[in-house]
Amino acid sequence: MKDTFILNILHRPEMVPEYAEKVTGQGKKEDIGRKELLTESLDIFKLQQEIAHQHGLKTTIQMTYSSLFNDEAISLAKEHHEKYGDEISLTLLGLPCKEFREKYKTKDFCIWMFSMEDKKAIVRDVFEKFHDIFGFYPQSTGSYYMDAELINFIKQEYPSVKCAVATCWEEGPKAYRTCNNSWYTFMDGGPWNPWIPSKANSHAPATNEEEDSGIVAIPHLSRDLLACFDGNGSNFGTHPQNVLRGMIYKDGKYPYLYNLIDQYRHLAKYNRGYAYNMMFVGPGWMNKAGRWEAPYELLVQSYRDCMAYYAELRDKGELVDMTMAEFADWYRANKTYTQPECALWKDILYGSEKQLFWYCDPYYRTCVDMNQGGAIVDLRPYAAKLEIPVGIGTGNVHDASYPFLVQSMYRAGYFTHYAGEGSIKSCKVSYKGEEADLCLCRTKAKFSEEGNDRILTLDPVDIEFSDLTFKVTTRFIFSEGSSEIKISRIITDMSNPDAKVHINEYITACYGTTEYPEDMNGIVLRCRGKEEEKEIVYAYKCREESVKDAAAVEAVVPQVKTKMTVYPVKGTFEGYFREGYAFSPMFTLGLNTELSNNEEMITCLKLEKVD
Amino acid sequence: MPQAGKGRLNYRCPACFIRELDIDMFYDKEKKEYYCLRCPFTGTEEEVLKLNEMAKFRYKAMMERITDFD
Ligand SMILES: [Zn+2]
Repeated sequence: MKDTFILNILHRPEMVPEYAEKVTGQGKKEDIGRKELLTESLDIFKLQQEIAHQHGLKTTIQMTYSSLFNDEAISLAKEHHEKYGDEISLTLLGLPCKEFREKYKTKDFCIWMFSMEDKKAIVRDVFEKFHDIFGFYPQSTGSYYMDAELINFIKQEYPSVKCAVATCWEEGPKAYRTCNNSWYTFMDGGPWNPWIPSKANSHAPATNEEEDSGIVAIPHLSRDLLACFDGNGSNFGTHPQNVLRGMIYKDGKYPYLYNLIDQYRHLAKYNRGYAYNMMFVGPGWMNKAGRWEAPYELLVQSYRDCMAYYAELRDKGELVDMTMAEFADWYRANKTYTQPECALWKDILYGSEKQLFWYCDPYYRTCVDMNQGGAIVDLRPYAAKLEIPVGIGTGNVHDASYPFLVQSMYRAGYFTHYAGEGSIKSCKVSYKGEEADLCLCRTKAKFSEEGNDRILTLDPVDIEFSDLTFKVTTRFIFSEGSSEIKISRIITDMSNPDAKVHINEYITACYGTTEYPEDMNGIVLRCRGKEEEKEIVYAYKCREESVKDAAAVEAVVPQVKTKMTVYPVKGTFEGYFREGYAFSPMFTLGLNTELSNNEEMITCLKLEKVD
Repeated sequence: MPQAGKGRLNYRCPACFIRELDIDMFYDKEKKEYYCLRCPFTGTEEEVLKLNEMAKFRYKAMMERITDFD
């Protein structure tokens, strides 16, 4: 495929923009039917459309429930569809309006948090109303998050829907906290670029046709894969006003925004020529009163500049703008279920050389941190295809995040205070009583492909002990459709070629969706040797077991229906597991061996579903 | 003093921003200062603007146009 960078631009006529009532209405009694509010909202939508069309860019107009009661919004949509080829679509955002509140007797507005009964009623209501007005059912829809039950229901009732905005990448506890613990979008752990959601869990991509929910999902915004992993997601995305929110500008200039777009374009290199961007700015971000310290003029200018940049790329033949429905068709025609999404991503903000590698397929999502010697700092077991109903009445009103086994921001990673261990997968090398963890070896990586393997090769790192120096080279091999990560380590350049270095390949893990520890009771830890097998059930007793000549070491985590196994592929290993304790609610699976100069070892990490 | 309102622009607390909290400040007309509802920060508009600039200390590549992503 020739490099294809696809852009989806979405606009929504939101008659009561999020924030507008709370922020610009400050000091007034709440009245969501206020005339000025409606007029201003529609004006912003018109302006956004005008800017896109000035640049000859096509948009997807996501009609909101409230806009379906507004004649002007409706006729604009029809006109722009005719004139510019914009898609008339239907969003489940923007529910709040007088009509909605009177009918549903609630101020809730996030579709995934409603009860299933209400979800169904609202979907039928808005889809039928849309049909009454436009004479057809929409081909695309969306919200900040679309839970699997909701997607399945929509697809069953309205099969015309083929595309949906289905998650905000890494918008979870971090976004909640940034908003003074008042923004309830707990949806960490999903893909950053479009995917086909499974019927079981919308974050986890479908493995095959049977699991296919029938839609192509797109993320809400294209987000900085490094800045958002550790920071507020709403500061670092293809949303110019979010960049202003992050204060990433000076004198009305924001090169970071273009760098972000360009880095997304660069991802074509890791995805067989395909790259993607999504832009979706709610009207509340361009309101006349300004947004925080950014005045209206700057808000609008940043929008104009961003569109102008996309148009410039399009004019150079480096960008294709599509509607959501067009994109869904393109995606179906050009991607397979198991084809992974890969991103070797570098810091474009702090001026460091930090690099992360993100990998996502129907079996897992993971992140490798080159600044920590190629440690795995995030691991989500999509293989488990966890059914996690969310919303009122499910027993889980808020938490739509896909659980992790490793998340070294939320659960410490290499560095812990005083005692205990954090979740991370790394490797320790030792010789004559000295030890080094590769987490402390900063390096960089290169990406390559061999057949169906995506390979991440790290630059060799230097280890210096008092009696021995050597280099370690690490390779990660991601074999498409295997649910496995193979890790190769080679020792070279030993100062004493007869020495043998001890290697401890380990993963320290837990499970959860937040910063807080979960109940680890019931996790089964097992070492399987060629001759013996040892097993314990987690009880915070700080136990440890090992077997010689290990076939595998595994953990069964019933809470997330996942079995994680590490096993030797090349080399002979002692296998061990370590239970944690109350101050260290983790478990560790490890493989120990010895390597000579120029010798390679390969181990494998596998994820499977258990019931 | 009557109740506080919003100032000319809707400034966030710079002390909270630096710890990744977006919190609107309110304006005390009598003291001519903004103040935070969560932390004890107070400051004039001029101070707030200066601190907002300071908050960018970590964005060393903020004004750079990057062309090499390898
Ligand atoms: Zn404060």
